[in-house]
Amino acid sequence: MQFFSGSTSTESSLLPAAPPGTGAGGPGNNAHMLYIFNRAGVCLLYREWNRPLRTLDPQQDHKLMFGLLFSLRSFTAKIDPTTAEKGNLGVPLLPGQGCSFYSFKTNTYQLNFMETPSGIKLILITHSRTGDQREALKYIYNLYVEYVVKNPLYVPSTPIQCDLFTKNLDQYVRTLI
Amino acid sequence: MYVWHFHCLFICCFNMLLVNLNWKDYGSAGRMDTNDSLRLASLWHSMHAISQQLSPTTGCNGIDLLRADTFDLHCFQSLTGTKFFVICEPSAPYMELLLKVIYELYTDYVLKNPFYEMEMPIRCELFDLNLSQVVQKDRVALLAR
Repeated sequence: MQFFSGSTSTESSLLPAAPPGTGAGGPGNNAHMLYIFNRAGVCLLYREWNRPLRTLDPQQDHKLMFGLLFSLRSFTAKIDPTTAEKGNLGVPLLPGQGCSFYSFKTNTYQLNFMETPSGIKLILITHSRTGDQREALKYIYNLYVEYVVKNPLYVPSTPIQCDLFTKNLDQYVRTLI
Repeated sequence: MYVWHFHCLFICCFNMLLVNLNWKDYGSAGRMDTNDSLRLASLWHSMHAISQQLSPTTGCNGIDLLRADTFDLHCFQSLTGTKFFVICEPSAPYMELLLKVIYELYTDYVLKNPFYEMEMPIRCELFDLNLSQVVQKDRVALLAR
């Protein structure tokens, strides 16, 4: 897989080896929430581990998150100082087109973002001081591929309801530092 | 001697009520005209506000750092809501300090200038002069602080 150059699964193993995460998995989970959207904006999964404050109802929250990411991607593609030829602001971008951001940080949280070539967007919100979570997002994407996409009972573009997936996801997230 | 670790630097400051944009471009491939820069600044302002809404805990002050493939964007918000942001190379050091220094220059050379009208584009020579100095030469001074 050229997209995930070198770091993840080979043909023979079912799941890739987990990237080094030495957390003991006790209380005080570092990850707050996880969102998975498909390319049309349908929220496939929203998982919450630690969220003291909810400002909006779930539907509005998902729409706001998707909208923020859409705008941020247009913004980064346009403001990119290294390419001279850029499209107009507001034109929908294909996955992989233009410069994309992978993380932003505020004083209370850090949002880590990954978009796959098929348009699946993974958003992991963690504590503000965590490091680069790109490897973690790739691992979660592989979990998605193994337990959701390869599940014959799963209908694409519908919310995910696979127990194995959520169980493995929770287990993995607990090991994140 | 040190070489400043960014290949380009945009400095933009604007406040909450009006997009009073001062955009300085210190050398890059991707230059843009005034309309585009105004649009981007407004977009940034809204996204900064939305990111506060999406916080899982209280007390969020908006985006401080945005990391992308080819650049980083550091943002500083003053107590009055005026936002300064700088675009630099990935992992360029001392950008937070730079933003604070620029804020000091802004208060000294722009706000204390009796001929400067609020909410208008900044046309103060001393500000521009000091800004280019800080950006290009005073790396050692920043390190010492």
